[in-house]
Amino acid sequence: MNPTIKLALILIASLEISFTYNLPANLLVILISVTYLFYHRIHGKTLAWLVIVPIIPAFGLFTTIYFFSSQHDLATASALFTRMYAYVFAGASFSLTTKPLDLAHSLEQNCHLPSKFAYGTLAAFNMLPKIKQTIVTIKSAAAMRGVNLSWWSPHLYFKAILVAINWSENLAMAMISHGFVEDQPRSAYELVQVKARDITWMVGLLIVLQVPIVWQIMN
Amino acid sequence: MNQKRKLHVRDIILLALIGILFGAIFIGTDFVYNALTAMLTPFGLAPMANDLMMGLWVMAGPLAGFMIRIPGTAFLGEFLASVGEMFFGGQWGAATLISGVVQGIATELGFTITRYRYYNWITLTITTITTTILTFGWDMLRNGYAKFDFQLLIILFVARLISTFIFGGVFVKIINGLLSRAHVLATR
Amino acid sequence: MTAISVSHLTFEYDDQLPTIEDATVNIPSSKFSLLVGPSGCGKSTLLKIIANLYPDFGGTISSGSVKIEPNQRVAMMFQDPSQQFTLDTPRHEIIFALENLRLDHDTIDQRIQDALNFCNIESLADRQFGTLSGGEKQKCALAVMIAMNSDIFLLDEPFASVDPQSRNQLIERLAVLKDQYNKTIVVTDHDLTGYEEVVDEMYRFDVIRHRIEHLSEDEKHKVLADHFSIHHVPVTLPSDQEHSVIELRNLQLTRGTTTLADIDSFNFYDQQITLITGQNGIGKSTLFSAIAKLFNYKGVITLNHTNIQKIRPAKYHQQIAMVFQEAASQFVDVTVNEELELSKKHRLSNYFSDQMINDALNSLGLSGFGERVVYSLSQGQQKKLQILLMLIISPSILLLDEPLTGLDEKSITGIFDILKKSCEAQHQTVIMISHQLTKLSQWVDHHVLFSNQTLTYQEVI
Repeated sequence: MNPTIKLALILIASLEISFTYNLPANLLVILISVTYLFYHRIHGKTLAWLVIVPIIPAFGLFTTIYFFSSQHDLATASALFTRMYAYVFAGASFSLTTKPLDLAHSLEQNCHLPSKFAYGTLAAFNMLPKIKQTIVTIKSAAAMRGVNLSWWSPHLYFKAILVAINWSENLAMAMISHGFVEDQPRSAYELVQVKARDITWMVGLLIVLQVPIVWQIMN
Repeated sequence: MNQKRKLHVRDIILLALIGILFGAIFIGTDFVYNALTAMLTPFGLAPMANDLMMGLWVMAGPLAGFMIRIPGTAFLGEFLASVGEMFFGGQWGAATLISGVVQGIATELGFTITRYRYYNWITLTITTITTTILTFGWDMLRNGYAKFDFQLLIILFVARLISTFIFGGVFVKIINGLLSRAHVLATR
Repeated sequence: MTAISVSHLTFEYDDQLPTIEDATVNIPSSKFSLLVGPSGCGKSTLLKIIANLYPDFGGTISSGSVKIEPNQRVAMMFQDPSQQFTLDTPRHEIIFALENLRLDHDTIDQRIQDALNFCNIESLADRQFGTLSGGEKQKCALAVMIAMNSDIFLLDEPFASVDPQSRNQLIERLAVLKDQYNKTIVVTDHDLTGYEEVVDEMYRFDVIRHRIEHLSEDEKHKVLADHFSIHHVPVTLPSDQEHSVIELRNLQLTRGTTTLADIDSFNFYDQQITLITGQNGIGKSTLFSAIAKLFNYKGVITLNHTNIQKIRPAKYHQQIAMVFQEAASQFVDVTVNEELELSKKHRLSNYFSDQMINDALNSLGLSGFGERVVYSLSQGQQKKLQILLMLIISPSILLLDEPLTGLDEKSITGIFDILKKSCEAQHQTVIMISHQLTKLSQWVDHHVLFSNQTLTYQEVI
């Protein structure tokens, strides 16, 4: 599926369930997302992780509404509980099945996003393998001077920004030396198309999602 | 600083890098978040963990706005952080983007109100207020805050306001102070 | 033909003395030119000016000019192999570069094939950059430059983290580019190994006068040959009386698929100054990172017979401190005075009195710099300050990674004088990595060579 269309579908669906308290709609989003994830052969482990991680905030929300609010509203509590999972699965069905580069190409070609945004962001993402080690190094270098930096120390953020400034200059210079010129047209090695099938799926799935929502309004 | 300056590719890389570096720092706070939620649940205050941590998640925005004084950078700083989180970070996937947009607009609004002219406590106080109100409004929908009792809402709102002020205000001011004393942004 | 003509160029970064002053140099086309000079002399700056990156990215040209032969495409390879790619794989990066040049699909395919072929990296084309070694990344960077059909190849200290074998392969490919494709090659380097056969022209940066001199054919041969006739100075082997402080047992270090070290058994000795040497990219810094608990390894490292994995990082880093290669990474605050105060606040012993610190600042040429921002100091000044700050802390073991970067003879004497006195008074152990051997021989107790994935004590430096 075209990455931009897929993203649009997921954002619209997520927004729509945010405005309603509709258990069947949430379950439908979860069902479609899980099916899609299985179609993309997601690992059992990843799926288990998706189920486990949101459980604390989801359960916390449930108890707040059901046990502690004055109305003890089970319907709302369970709608909120499942909605958390709907967000997680819908979100994952995009981020686990789409490569950042494919999204960048699609946004560049289909949405005419200026290339500096697409490739600037990608260049930054390219540093990801070094990010964790960098934070460890900053902390250790300071520890060796007797200074303990942690997430509540402004100096940790300051040092991280200094690293970011340095990297951003090196990466930008490298981009320019690889022929990149801001706001100038580029050719496309591969054309990313929006196929009729993509639109059909998007519209089709959105119509299906309206069924439980309209049903709730009618009753 | 020159307000008519254009946003260059290195600014975009910088903002995205700050987003992911901060993300890496916040990994250490997942534990704090979960522990807070678990501790507050028996008191019916589970969502408060969210509000107490909010300042951290929205720190990149005002910082970006202060560092690169061009309209739109506060939004972009916040939004690009959420893009990074979508692909590489948390379990929320694309849903993070919506929060990123809301937080980004909220922070940017603070700079818009001061017309990108003032970069001081007043600006930070305004961004704190706009960020708290808008993100709170979004949580009314998204996290079902609208269904909470009024009393609880007040507690949560105050918690979020304080958190946002500490991290999105005091911290940003300190960090920006260090950066400007170090003259590292001079050539930008 | 002149490919690059630099005339009376003066360039300065903000609020600093000129990095390049009244430099004039003409670099011929279709030749292999080598620019040498110590770190921080302005080599890198000059290349970035030629590549048209400076002054856009900082600094000002206050006088003079740089002219490039018309219609020549300039491409650049950077010192840090991991910060020069926009996309995730070599193939994607080449496609990105060629899309920038607005080439069509078929031309791009052809160019990718040719460039990968030329650099012998077909097997790397679809690997993630994060999994490649420094040498492999630089080969990919060369492939991008070739695919772009560049005419002038600028390489800024390209082999700093490249293993010796890849370094030779890269130099050989550059020679072929010049000989068979008439490309202009300009390389900056401080290590002169492997250039004798290929270099046509050689330029030396004069640090004192900030000038660039073109060496005559004779001088060139002399400099390149001098590099080989190292005067060996005898050093002692560890004796039976010495106590081991750090022990390595069955230590294995790997980066990606490459094994860097496979050490059965090795000891560093207490209260000694030990120098580790070895070729670039062989894994010396990685060994330090492992000892400092910053890099995952297989096997056992002990400190005073305790497995270092059993010591909490915060506690461990009070006993063993690394002086990082990049000085700025060790600064925490903003000004020189603040940094000094911070070190005094957290020091483990009071060996360094205020008077001694003042004397040290004086002898290092750092007095009167109290209110200066540490990040605005020159590379050499940063290095001196960094070492002093770490000495004030007084940890029992110091790991120094390339402590001489950007330092002149006088500064080296100054800093090692303070270091040696502190070590003797406080019974500290120092282990350091350096490639500048001759300048260090008088300060060093033992010499260890890192080669063939292992460490061995040597009788000479």
